[in-house]
Amino acid sequence: MTLSGYEALFFWIFGLAAIFAGLLTVMARNAVHSALFLISSLVSVAALFILSRAEFIAGVQILVYVGGVMVLFLFVIMLVNVGAEERGSEEIFNNQRQVAASLIFCLLLVGGMLYAINTGFNGMKARNSTPPAVVEAQEASRDQAHGASATGSSRITKDTESVGGSLYRYASLPFEIASVLLLVAIIGSVMLARTLKQEASVDDVDPGIAD
Amino acid sequence: MFKYIWLVPLLPLIGAAINGLFGRKLRFSERLIGGIAVGSVALAFLISVAAVYSYGFGGHPEWPKPYLTSQDGFSFNWIPGGAVSVNPRAEAAESPRFALLNIEWSYQLDPLSSIFMLIVTGVGLCIFVFATGYMHGETGFYRFFAYMGLFMFAMLVLVMGSNFLMMFVGWEGVGLCSYLLIGYYFDRQEAANASRKAFITNRVGDFGFALAIFGIIATFGSAQYVDVFNQAKSFPIELLGHWGILSWIALGLFIGACGKSAQLPLHVWLPDAMAGPTPVSALIHAATMVTAGLYMVTRTNVIFQHSQTMLLVVALVGAATAIFAATIGITQNDIKKVLAYSTVSQLGFMFMACGVGAFVIGIFHVMTHAFFKALMFLGAGSVIHGMHHEQDMRRMGGLKKYMPYTYWTFMAGWLAICGIIPFSGFWSKDEILWNAASTTHIPLGWIVWLVGTIAATCTAFYMTRLMAMTFWGRERFLEAPAGGEADEAHASAYDKGLAPHDAVAPSAGDRPRHEPGEHVGPVHEDATHHVASDGHGDHHGAHTPHESPASMWVPLAVLAVLATLGGLVGIGPAFRSLTGTEHPGGRVNIVNWLNPIIWNPATREFNAPEGAHEAAVPAETAHGETAAPPVAEGGAEGAAEAGHGSATAVYGDTGFNLAHAVENTTHSELATEWIFILISLVVAGIGMLLGALFYVWRPALAGIWSQRLRPLYIASYNKYWVDEFYGMAVTRRTMDLARAVFRFDSGLVDGIVNGLAWLSRQFSRIVGAVDKYFVDGLVNTVAAFIMRLMSPLFRAAQTGFTQNYALVMVLGLMIAVAVFFGRDILAVFQR
Amino acid sequence: MKNAAANPDLSKFLVIGALLFIIGVAGVLTRRNIIVIFMSIELILNAANLNFIAFSRYLSTTGSANALAGQIFTVFVIVVAAAEAAIGLGIVIALYRNKETIWVDEIDLLKW
Repeated sequence: MTLSGYEALFFWIFGLAAIFAGLLTVMARNAVHSALFLISSLVSVAALFILSRAEFIAGVQILVYVGGVMVLFLFVIMLVNVGAEERGSEEIFNNQRQVAASLIFCLLLVGGMLYAINTGFNGMKARNSTPPAVVEAQEASRDQAHGASATGSSRITKDTESVGGSLYRYASLPFEIASVLLLVAIIGSVMLARTLKQEASVDDVDPGIAD
Repeated sequence: MFKYIWLVPLLPLIGAAINGLFGRKLRFSERLIGGIAVGSVALAFLISVAAVYSYGFGGHPEWPKPYLTSQDGFSFNWIPGGAVSVNPRAEAAESPRFALLNIEWSYQLDPLSSIFMLIVTGVGLCIFVFATGYMHGETGFYRFFAYMGLFMFAMLVLVMGSNFLMMFVGWEGVGLCSYLLIGYYFDRQEAANASRKAFITNRVGDFGFALAIFGIIATFGSAQYVDVFNQAKSFPIELLGHWGILSWIALGLFIGACGKSAQLPLHVWLPDAMAGPTPVSALIHAATMVTAGLYMVTRTNVIFQHSQTMLLVVALVGAATAIFAATIGITQNDIKKVLAYSTVSQLGFMFMACGVGAFVIGIFHVMTHAFFKALMFLGAGSVIHGMHHEQDMRRMGGLKKYMPYTYWTFMAGWLAICGIIPFSGFWSKDEILWNAASTTHIPLGWIVWLVGTIAATCTAFYMTRLMAMTFWGRERFLEAPAGGEADEAHASAYDKGLAPHDAVAPSAGDRPRHEPGEHVGPVHEDATHHVASDGHGDHHGAHTPHESPASMWVPLAVLAVLATLGGLVGIGPAFRSLTGTEHPGGRVNIVNWLNPIIWNPATREFNAPEGAHEAAVPAETAHGETAAPPVAEGGAEGAAEAGHGSATAVYGDTGFNLAHAVENTTHSELATEWIFILISLVVAGIGMLLGALFYVWRPALAGIWSQRLRPLYIASYNKYWVDEFYGMAVTRRTMDLARAVFRFDSGLVDGIVNGLAWLSRQFSRIVGAVDKYFVDGLVNTVAAFIMRLMSPLFRAAQTGFTQNYALVMVLGLMIAVAVFFGRDILAVFQR
Repeated sequence: MKNAAANPDLSKFLVIGALLFIIGVAGVLTRRNIIVIFMSIELILNAANLNFIAFSRYLSTTGSANALAGQIFTVFVIVVAAAEAAIGLGIVIALYRNKETIWVDEIDLLKW
């Protein structure tokens, strides 16, 4: 799956953007800034998805994740957070010991992960090495199988179609379970966010009594 | 029909169980309780009659063979036993039920048990009917009849059992019921004392009986009558002076009989037992329980006849008891006590009969005694009832016009006990005396005869005294109040501040509670003296004695008829000129009926029916010969003539024989017999005349003679101080021993135990201190140290800060990574 | 190596994913604002998604039959992340109503 040419360029741009945006998410003072940075990180990752020929997932990411979850985040920030850090006097990071310990652990984790990826990937490459020419030929034939797109520079992919087919054929049970999960989440969130007055009026309980 | 004799004990038991278990709970009426009790006994009586009739006289009579219910399967294996180390002789016996000692529960119908069955159920029926009237108004009505039914069951098991263990069960059962019934008024001190005394004295006898049963089982290997007696008859006879195993067994049996039948020295319980209700005295202490000893002795007559020494002992004890009790009865004032001593005396007569070898006559006397003594007890009960529970004869008198039925029936009993022809007592008593005089079983027969005759005189005397003081003469109850709350016991209790039922005075017999004012005779002048402490003082007015209701005098009438005519089943050989045979009546004659169970020492077999007889005059063989006992073959008709004469040869020289002496003078056995009959009639008449003289014609004479013979009078009145002697020698010494043992136990044994406990406590204190100071101190120190050390550390970990916990999770992740990849990672750095 | 930089392949995707993950973990552990902690959690989930998709691409090029499994998995991860975000923010709102604060170090009821 070696990327080359424009794909490699876009990969590096969006990859670094994602990392940078993530870093800023964690380090921003204002919560709204954090949210916006997160949005940009998510969009970058969606671009990376497209680079990986997972267009459908990229679309889902942007629609659902960014368009739904992040908007929700923003709503909640507005509800609870207004005016908290604008004065700039509040501390945004925890006490020093916690931060120090976290950074040490994270550095160690980084080291471990990088090593693992490196070793694993090298091992994997050693085992399933198909000559790059064969890989190229396979890719080319796969591309040829698809129809041309509107601009002509790439092929119309059948990613959505195949994902849909797989989802509804082989993963239909988890699909249904996921929908039930969402239902439960809806109910749960409605319940959690009720005010006391709303709870009391439903249960016919005296609002003065703390439940 | 005799197949169903197993119902006979069962029916009274069922009646007793129903009355006992449900009588109070379901609140049965008196009628219902009485109906169940009387009905069960009546049914048992009818079955007995039918059974005996079909056994002896029916189409296929079994008589004289004993019939066991196990022959028709109406029995069960009560004690299945293992092998018993038996006498080798036993193994040679023919009986198949032999290798293991199996005790079965089966009933035996044979001549002896049939008579007792009829007596127990028949006389018992009369007494039950009487009791429904006598016990009217008692709150414990159901309890009374439950116990009486239980008694009937036990007595029937005793007489109908087929082995010694069933007899023992019945023996103990009647002892228990006697205890329960004497102590019927259980809230009365003297009734409780009397019932305990009866039971304990019985127990002394039972000890001997039990030893005898062990001996029987060890010697014969079985407890069934048929097995034991079939073997026993071939044992050698133990003459006077030779004491063998059969003498030991007979001794044990006789000790049991002494206890149950109130012979010297175990007679002390019977007079005290008069504290129970009068029907109890009639049934248990006159007609049935006390005759159990006789039943046992007659049943085992084989064993007794094998031991001449024991026969002599039985006869002498019986004679001694007869005269002893008769002399006490002369001076007693309580009507029931007189009858009690009379019973003891008559039982002595019965044992006399058995001792001289006339077992059949002993049973005959049991039968006639049951009739007339039960009659007289019930009559006394009727008198007591009519006199409003007055028992002291000094306050009665002239009752014959107030209680005519009671009077005339009592008279029949009086004439019977005095031995006037043709009343029943005459036939049996006369035969006893004749057999005593003419016996060849034991020496000293003439002494037995003499003592018996004197006792008969005394009997006639005190019975006439009783009649005179009770029914004839001046009506003494009109001069001072009698009965109820006016009697001595109440007065003495009142003086001491006790409740009437704590009465402890010799004349306080069976008395339910009385209201103030309840008595017979005139109202007291000092009304306050006898009024109850609640101060009411309203007198209901004096009563006059009244005749008893029909439920009470009808049984009296029945028994009177039996007392009059009952003796005709035993018309003796002296009357053979009138009747044509020695024992008229064929099988109905008691001698013919019972003969097959009596063992004949001459033929060494049980008597053949209609064959040899016991009471014959010695035949042509001269007396005084000592001949070796002939080893006879099995009982053949030829043994019929041998009879008594061979008895001489069997038991050796028995010394002076009165009957022989008289016969040698008159040279006619008939004349000899008639002489003895006349002697007994004459002495009876003398007794009656003296009684009438002292108590009817010249009442002052009684007082004069009691003064003149003061020492004798005092001795007799105080019952020869036997009770006091026992109290001093036995009872108090036992209590002393008990107290000494208790002191030892509480002092030494308990002291040791308590001392050990004290040691344990001290030890535990030490251990506790060690634990508390040393161990706990250690633990506390260590724990405190650890706590002070670690507690801040652990506390510091609980920050409540969620991100700390998340940090720990990450740390865990790192450790997992390190575990999995650590080696590889390090390898990288080492390269 | 130069080739690798010019032609990034699977390992680079994974490295980016790993870095995003670490950044997210650091954000969860260090920030005081509860909303920002949630957003860091979303970062973590996102990193995992990237990982899945990278492998899916790689597997499809090496001819495995199960190439789409990664994408399917990603769909479900997004679903779960959405549900979890909704519930979590509901909890935040309830917490805010009760304690009037969004700073996590002020929520220390479990402290000894």
